[in-house]
Order: sequence, then structure tokens, then C-alpha cells
Amino acid sequence: MGYAGLQLVNTMFMQELCERMTRQFDCDQVMHQKDDLSFLRVDRDRLESALMYLKTHEGFVHLSFVTVIDYIEDGFFRLNYMLYNYDKATNIGVQVDITRENPSMHSIHHLWAQGWTYQRELKEMYGIDFPGSPRVDEEFVLEGWDGIPPMLREFDTAKFCEDRFAKRDGRESQDIKQTMRDNLYPERGES
Amino acid sequence: MKLKDLTSPFYVWQRAFEKPYTQSKPTLNREGAHAYRGFHINDIEKCVGCGTCEEICMNNAIDMVEIAAKDSKKGDSGLVPRFDYGRCCWCALCVDICTTGSLRMSNEYTWAADDPDSFRFTPGVDETSWQDSEHGYRRHPEYDLLKLVRPEMEMLSPDEGLKSFDEVVAGYTHEQAVVEADRCIECEICVATCPANMDIPGYIRAVREENFEEGLRLLYDTNPFSATCGRICTHRCEDDCTISTFGKPLAIRWLKRYIVDQVPAERFAEILNDEITENGHHVSIVGAGPGGMSAAYYLRKKGYGVTVYEAGASGGGMLRYGVPSYRLPDDQLDKDIDYIVSLGVEVKYNTKIGHDIEFQQLMDKSDAIFIATGMDQPSSMRIKGEDHPRVLSGLTVLNDVASHKDPGVGKNVAVIGGGNVAMDAARVCRRLGADVTVLYRRRIVDMPADKDEIKEALEENCNFVLQAIPVLIEDAESSDQVTIQWGEAEMIAEDGKRPRPVLQEDRMHTDTYDSIISAIGQSGDFSFLPQEISDQLKQHWGKFEVDQRQRTAVGKIFIGGDIANDVADAISAIADGKNAAIGIDAFVSS
Amino acid sequence: MFDLKRYSEAELESGKFTKLWHGPQHPGITGNMSLELTLSGDDVVECKTHVGYLHRGFEKLMERRTYIQNFPVVCRIAVPEPTFNEYMYAAAVEELAGIEVPERAEWLRCLNLEMMRLASFLMWLGGACGSFGMSTVYQWTVTHRDYMLDLFEEMTGARIYHMYISPGGVRAPLPDGFSERALSVMNGIEKLLYEIERVALNNHIFKMRSQDLGIIDPEMVDPYGIVGPNARACGFKRDVRKDAPYLVYDQLDFEVITADKSDAYTRTLVRYQEMHQCISLIRQMLEQMPTKGSFHADLPNVLHWKIPAGQTYVKSECTRGEYGYFLVSDGSEYLRRVTIRGPSYTHAIAVMEKLVVGVNIADVAGLMVSLHTYPPEIER
Ligand SMILES: Cc1cc2nc3c(=O)[nH]c(=O)nc-3n(C[C@H](O)[C@H](O)[C@H](O)COP(=O)(O)OP(=O)(O)OC[C@H]3O[C@@H](n4cnc5c(N)ncnc54)[C@H](O)[C@@H]3O)c2cc1C
Ligand code: SF4
Ligand code: SF4
Repeated sequence: MGYAGLQLVNTMFMQELCERMTRQFDCDQVMHQKDDLSFLRVDRDRLESALMYLKTHEGFVHLSFVTVIDYIEDGFFRLNYMLYNYDKATNIGVQVDITRENPSMHSIHHLWAQGWTYQRELKEMYGIDFPGSPRVDEEFVLEGWDGIPPMLREFDTAKFCEDRFAKRDGRESQDIKQTMRDNLYPERGES
Repeated sequence: MKLKDLTSPFYVWQRAFEKPYTQSKPTLNREGAHAYRGFHINDIEKCVGCGTCEEICMNNAIDMVEIAAKDSKKGDSGLVPRFDYGRCCWCALCVDICTTGSLRMSNEYTWAADDPDSFRFTPGVDETSWQDSEHGYRRHPEYDLLKLVRPEMEMLSPDEGLKSFDEVVAGYTHEQAVVEADRCIECEICVATCPANMDIPGYIRAVREENFEEGLRLLYDTNPFSATCGRICTHRCEDDCTISTFGKPLAIRWLKRYIVDQVPAERFAEILNDEITENGHHVSIVGAGPGGMSAAYYLRKKGYGVTVYEAGASGGGMLRYGVPSYRLPDDQLDKDIDYIVSLGVEVKYNTKIGHDIEFQQLMDKSDAIFIATGMDQPSSMRIKGEDHPRVLSGLTVLNDVASHKDPGVGKNVAVIGGGNVAMDAARVCRRLGADVTVLYRRRIVDMPADKDEIKEALEENCNFVLQAIPVLIEDAESSDQVTIQWGEAEMIAEDGKRPRPVLQEDRMHTDTYDSIISAIGQSGDFSFLPQEISDQLKQHWGKFEVDQRQRTAVGKIFIGGDIANDVADAISAIADGKNAAIGIDAFVSS
Repeated sequence: MFDLKRYSEAELESGKFTKLWHGPQHPGITGNMSLELTLSGDDVVECKTHVGYLHRGFEKLMERRTYIQNFPVVCRIAVPEPTFNEYMYAAAVEELAGIEVPERAEWLRCLNLEMMRLASFLMWLGGACGSFGMSTVYQWTVTHRDYMLDLFEEMTGARIYHMYISPGGVRAPLPDGFSERALSVMNGIEKLLYEIERVALNNHIFKMRSQDLGIIDPEMVDPYGIVGPNARACGFKRDVRKDAPYLVYDQLDFEVITADKSDAYTRTLVRYQEMHQCISLIRQMLEQMPTKGSFHADLPNVLHWKIPAGQTYVKSECTRGEYGYFLVSDGSEYLRRVTIRGPSYTHAIAVMEKLVVGVNIADVAGLMVSLHTYPPEIER
């Protein structure tokens, strides 16, 4: 079967799968991004069983990564668990919204042997807790960090650098409009 | 274990007889690939200091700096980029985006120095060993980050246009406007070229973001004639648009028009929210052209009581009586003027200063006076017979048409001149059904008229006779006609000066027309000024001398518009009006 | 102070164990990360990995740069393989922005990626041999990698951080005469590979040290998310280039290479064969490459390029397996979130910590190299 043929089968498979998931796990949002990638939204407490189901019954044996998107303005984190089905060559992103206040989520370390690593990273970088996840409190890439988790949207990298590092001397840039005004029409165009 | 696994590795000994991989020293002179992204080179003659390189650099490695070798001028900020190689990653985004192609890279990649500050340098200014390098990265001609093409404006076909005085230019559609606005790189170089120094990138951004209310507010900060200027502005800004080095300049004028067209007149007050607190002072303005009305607007906003005296029956000056309605429909001019008047500006129409009211009266009762009476006196051709009854002035023809009178030009007309008035007169005559010949002393490239105007006149089948110098006007056989004698001219350049047309007396022609329309320039009439005042005001080439804020030698008197600036276009008059308001405010409150 | 006890379950006080920090310098070319090893005699009883020595916070930096400004940033996420980052970033942006890439650009990208794979494998192969004591091979492969870098320099304008694949296409077509020079480099590498086969892969000592070292049980593959040659060496016929063909892979002739036992030796063998495969793919592409047509799509003005809100995951097969970018846009000029998924995330941490137990200290570097990991893609 050529790739085009495969795509068609995949699309149907994905559509049916998403329907099954919606029925079974009340996924309230389904988004088909492309032939071989869809996103599903599930409830915080249904995530584990949804992942378990996808892994054991639907062939999504591979966990590509776990990540989070910070929607600071709306006060929530969106966790994203990206799974892959090798036979159908399709990805599914299972997403869960959790509140930004004291964020915490069920651990999936027992479903995938590398799951704890992602959770450890998310704890460090976003402050999301995964109770029961091995070594979740150990430092991951940071060492002796005492600021807020640095991947949070409110962590201002520019300000961090300004506070931390000296500015290099002799680095001044002139504003184009202001320079031209000063040199060419000093008294005109004010309000 | 296989025997082979023991013997096979000894193969390595064979290498002993081969040429080594290593090279002997010195190896430092290896030349980089031809398109290597090495150290920067900038041709500062070409660089216009637009700062786009600085803008795109994600490492913040570029500063725009002043240099001794270059001053600011229109279209060139005079600044050049200085590079901090402590930060640069040689991505060449700056080279890709450089609007003039002045910036590129050499294929040089070694530079050792013990002073870390020396790695901060200004290519093209600081001496470097690679500045003349032939090789190195430059943007591939087919790889464009700048958007060079302008959406095609919908216009009436020349045939269609000639049938009426309907507006020729349709204006951008929403989609076109947003696409066009997207091309702007916000370098702000054009702001200095705009006589009113409008925040051009700002209002273009408003179009891009589809925020027309914000757009209108930005326009009115510097220009209360935006519906008008959005149509007929001379758009000098576009000449200096940095995109025009490789592509079409931004359609700044059309984008301005697009903003005003999106906002119905009824909503102006609510959006602009011009709150007025009376300050008890009073200013008189002579002339309700763009100069006078613009001053009125900004003075009113500052709380001044404003009276505008206008000789004509309605406002707008030359915009009303000169510019034909297929370029600027009356209702658009009204849209601008009505809003200004709605702020409580008093306009006294049909009131000619020096005739209906003496100038001295204004001097006595006002805290300050702004004069913007424009130029409505046609210049003379200085040839015999020009007072022939079949010789009409372009201004008169246009004025008649604007006042819905028939100027009676006949069926076969010659227009003398190459400026905008000539083009307008010619195209108006075409619309009145005449065949039109335009006689101009020089070449097409020398014509002062707007390029678009020339193009459209040609499309409307005006017949251009170039390098033609009128010599004599005589009676024709029929008293309804007139004869003109003209000679061919050669363009002759003397000692490096701009070439001058020189009459070739052996190549003379005689033609007969129903009328000859003279449109070679105009001047102002200042007879309304009392002698002692007139004596104090300095003039130069028929224009009053004023400073940046339109001040004159007489404290109370401010002058602007066509009678004060050399440019003589609407936007300059508007800018003068605004700057006069600032000047007057400073004068009155001091 | 570092609290050893907190990290270790082995009774250090008993005096039976030794604690050893392996790294963060990298013997072989594993990149800067360190292994906190607990040894009993010469054998590892426990391992904890530590990352954080290199590039940190790329994903965060990217949230603060415009879409065009990010394209020179991403290559830095993996020194030996910048191109995959360039391609993945561009592909994700193009997908969300709805940009069609011209066909010629697809070929040029694909060629660039396979050249990258070969260059990266060369460096890796040298490291693999080096960490088993054969540093001569390392010199050979690094030399030939340098010839590859010369090609990159010509094609892209830079040797390491090419910044060649930009959103919309590529920045330039191939320079004149490139094919001939590339083919001659390919011939040289092919010859070199046969030499390496003789002196290293067929070397009794190399075999002794690498065979049966760090065996990945097929059962581990899915739970640990093992991909690429590490998984293919134990029979998993998985390769993104075949499973979800991108660029022009569906027009090229190649087979997924597998073996039946994923130990350090077989993994080397699989990669060795994949290098030959790279050469074949490069030759095919140089032959079929279109020489005319646009190589870059028309983009909106990049200085204020906004991309409609959306999210996607794009992936490709890098030397180490599935390499992907998860990109979330929110309609502004800045991306909302990017997550870079590299195979080392699991290979160098969870997998390494498991496989290294029981391994002799002398083989730890060899084992690590055999997993082919790049710490920068862990830290991002
Ligand atoms: C045919 C033509 C086409 C043009 N096309 C363009 C164009 O496309 N784009 C552009 O930017 N510019 C154009 N211009 C130029 C533009 O119209 C003028 O530069 C502009 O109108 C000047 O404004 P102003 O306020 O100085 O004077 P004007 O517009 O001339 O206004 C002066 C006003 O003062 C009044 N006035 C004069 N004397 C007295 C007095 N003694 N008492 C009371 N009132 C008096 C007049 O009646 C008039 O209304 C054109 C001009 C002409 C003639
Ligand atoms: S090459 Fe890149 S990093 Fe260097 S100055 Fe130009 S844009 Fe900035
Ligand atoms: S982008 Fe080019 S023209 Fe503009 S300032 Fe930089 S070097 Fe000069």
C-alpha cells in the first residue's frame, strides 16, 4: 500500500478512535491536526485510564514525550502526552488541563518506564507535582536554583539577565526617527 | 573466534604508505567557501541607516550609530550598523533583510586581537582586511524576505474614466490593504520625508492590525485632511520608502485613504474625542485652504477661538477649485472640512480680506493671525499674444469645472505646461470631450507632475508634444480659434548643469486650436496686506520667509501653505498649519 | 555540598562501594553529562545520570524570539546534528502557517539531512572506536567528517551551524560543481568505511569488548520508548523515513536496516550499514535533484509574522531515531511553546541507568557511546 493509501486508512482509524475515546472517556475536545495527528482533551482524573486504554487496546505503545503549555492568562496548564501507534503510523496527543494553583497531576511512571523523567523535568521547570513519581523532587538540569520555576510564563529571562549580568559598555543604539528629527526637523511635528 | 578477526586489523599498517591527513603549518590561510558567512562588509554609500538589520538580529548584536562621514538627510538617517562580535552568531539574517543590499559578508573568518573591545566594529567605517573581499555570503537574488510587490489597485479604465468626473481610483479592498500594510518594515525613514512628519509606520500598523480607530487617531495627530491626502497627496514619503530599492514602495497614500474610508464621518467625533477647553484667546486665519483649516483644527484643539476668513463660497482652497473631482470627490473634502468646522471653528465665507474686511481689523482684534492665502494668480508665459481671448488659464478652467460651469474650451485644445495643473487641465478637457495636446519645453522625465498623473494622462490619450517652446500666439482665421507658433527644443547641458531646452529656430511649427490653456505656474496675491506690514515681511522668490514654526518678522503674524513653502502641495500646507498652531500657542502664551 | 546519601540506596558507609563521577567531560562523544556511578569492585551497581551542563532553556528563549529569529537559534540544540533542528522547526512553522514548500527545496533539505546524518555518524563511529581504545579510527572519521563540513560550508555558508533550512525552504540552491565534489567525498568515505570494517568491526578486541555489552531486550523497547538504531538492532523495523515519509524519502530507494540483537556491537553494525545507506541516498539525490525552480516559498513579512493559533507535532528520523518538534502558536508574533523531543531523553537517562548496572567500569564509556546520545537535546 502506498503512502497515500495508508493516509486514508489512518484518517479513518483516527476518526473512529476519537469517537470511541469520546464515548468512553468523555473527551470534550477533539482536534484533527493532520492525517496522522489528532489531539484529545480528557478530564484530569480520566487521564490514566485513557492512556492505559490507548496503550493496551489501541496500539499506542510509544510515549513520544510529555510536555506542558502554560496558559497563564487563563490560569491553567495544559499537559500533553504524545503517543504513537507504530502499526497505524499515527500520533495522538492526549491533553489535560490542570489549574495553575498548586498544580499537581497523577503520575504515569508505571505506564512507561521513562515517564518519571518527564515528570521530574516538569516539576523543576513548571512546578507541577506528580505525587509518587520516582525522584520527582530531584534536580534535573538546574543546580542550586532558588527562583521560580524558570519555564513559567511569568519568569522573565530578559529581566533575569539584566539583574544578573553587567551590561557591556559602549553598546548604545540610536533611534532612527529621533535622530532624523533632531537633525532634520528639530522644531516641527510636535504635538 | 575467527582468524580473520585477528589479522584484519593489521590492515591499518597499509596507511603508513599513504599521504597523511594532517597538514603542515601554517594552515591559517585556508580560504573560506565562496558563500561563507564570514565577517561583515557594509557599503555605507548605499546603506540608508534604516535599522532593519538591527531590528531582525535576534542576538542584539547591532547598534545604529552616527558616523562622521555621513549626515542625516531625507531617505537616509545617516546612521550605520555597528556590530558586536561578542554577540553575533553569523546567521546573516541582517544580510538577508538589508533593504538596500549594502550589507553582506566576506569569507574571512579569522580575527585575533588582545583587546576584546576591538570586536565591536563598524563595517565600512573601521578599517578591516576583508572590506574589499569579493567572496562571502550575500542574499541569493531569489531569496527574498522583503515583500517587494504591491497589490494592483483597481481603477476605472481610461475609457470608462473619460465618460464622467467619477473617481478613478477605487481604493483598496480590505484584503489588499492588509496585505499591503504587511509589507511595511517599520523603519521610519519615511517620517522625515513626509512634510507633516506623520507617523506612517504607526498608521500602517493599524491597518495591518485592522484597528481603524487607532489608525484615525494617528492620522489626526498630524493631519486633519486625511480623506483628502489619502487621495491626492504628492506622497513624497513613498519616494524614500526603503522597500523601493528592490521593489515597489509601500502604497502609503492608499493605506491612509483606506483608514479614513473605513470610518464613517458620524463616528469621527466619538473616536477622535477632541475635547476642547476654551483658553480665551482668539486667532484669525486668512484662507480656508488646507493650510488655514489645519491651523484652525490644531488651534481649536488647544482651546483657541478661531475665525477663518475665506474669499470663496466654500472651504478647501485649491483642493476644491483646483483638484478635479475624479481625483478628489467633493464629499471626501467635505468629510475633512466638516469635522474641523464641527469643533467650533467659525468660517466666514465670501469674505475677502482687503476687500470686505481690512487686514488691520484682524490685527487689532486677534491675538495672532495665520495667513495661508495660496497661489491663485496664473503665471505669465511671457510671449506675445498671450492675452488673446482664446487663451485660458488652467486655474480658471479647473475652477469653472469645479463650480459646475462650462469653461467653453472647444473641441481641440492645447495645454501648455508639465506640472500637475497642466495634467489636471488636460484630463479635465478630455472629460469635456476635447482632443488635447500637451506642449512641454522639456522631456517627460523632467516633468514636475506626479508620475501617476502623467501615466494616466497618456492613457487617457492626451497627446504629448515634448521639447516644444511656445513663441507666439496669434489670431486664427476663425475668431473662435487661436494659433500658436512653437519651436522644437534641444536639451543642452552646460558645464554639468541640469540640461536646458534651447530653441531650434529652424524647426518651427504653427498649429491652430479652439483654445490654449496656459498652466505653467502660479503665484500669490498679497495686495490685501497694508504696506507697512508687507514691508516688514521678508519675501524670497515670491514666497514669504518663515521659520520652522511659521513665524515671521511680525510677532503676531504667521504664514504658511503655498505662499510660504517651496513645495506647494497640500500636505506641506497642512504641516505648516499645524506648526503655525504650535508657534502661535507658544507666542500667545509667552 | 552534594549529599551522596540522598541519591544512593547502596550502603556507602559499609566501605564495600565506591562512588565515582563519570563525566561531565565526555570520553568518546557522548556530550557533557555525568554519570554518578556506585561501584562494587569494578562493576557498576547503580547509576544516576546528571544533565544540565550545556545549553539550557532553548525552549524558553524561543518563546521570546519572533518566528524568523528562531531559525538561527534551533541549530544550536545539537552540535553534531543542527540540521534536524532546522528542518523540524521549519516544518512545524510551515504547517501551522499553511506554507507550501517548493519541491526543489524539499530535495535540497533532504540532501542536507542525509549529509548531516552521515557527518554525524562519522563522528559517532570514531567515538565508538575511540572509547574502546582505537583512537586512530577516530582521527580517520573526523578527517572525513571535515570533508563533509567543507561540503556544508559550500552549500550552506557554514561548517557546523548551517542555518540553511529556513521556514519556507532553503536559503540558496547548490553551488556550481557541488555534485562532483560531493560524490568524490562520498567515494572517499565509502572507502574509509571498508577500512574501518576491517580494522574495527572485524577486530577481535573490539568484538570482545562490545559484544553482549548493554543488551537492549526487545521487551524494553516500547516501555522505554527506545527508537532508531537502538531499537532496529533488536529487530524493530521502525524508521520515520519509511513509516511516515517526509520530504522526498518516498521517491528514494532504501530499506530499513535491522538486526536481531541490540548490543553495543550490533548497534555499531547497524549504524555502519546506515552510513552506507546514507551514501547511497546522497548519490540518488544528487542524481535526481531538480536544478531549476524556486527553493523558497513566499513568506509574509517576517518582521511581524503572526501565525494563527494551533498546535502540531512534526518528526523526522535523525541518527538516533525519532526527533520531533511540538509547536504551539497562539496567533501572536511569538510561539507559545515549543517542545523538542530527542531520543537521548530516554536513551541517556532511563535506558542508560538500567543498562549500565553490572557493567565493568572500563566499558561504561563504550556502552554510553553505543546508545548514541546527545545531552543537549535532553536539556534544550
Ligand atoms: C490644479 C491643481 C492641482 C493640484 N493637485 C495637487 C495634488 O494632487 N496634490 C497636492 O498635494 N497638491 C496639489 N495641488 C496643490 C495644493 O492644492 C495646494 O498646495 C494647497 O491647496 C495649498 O494650500 P493653501 O492653504 O496654502 O492655499 P490654498 O489651497 O490655495 O487656499 C487658499 C485659500 O485662501 C483664500 N484666499 C486667498 N486670498 C484671500 C483673501 N485675501 N481673503 C480671504 N481668503 C483668501 C482662497 O480663496 C483659498 O480658498 C494642486 C494645485 C492645483 C492648482
Ligand atoms: S549575522 Fe545574525 S547575529 Fe550577526 S549581526 Fe547579523 S543578524 Fe545579528
Ligand atoms: S538594513 Fe542595510 S540599509 Fe538598513 S541600516 Fe542595515 S545595513 Fe543599512
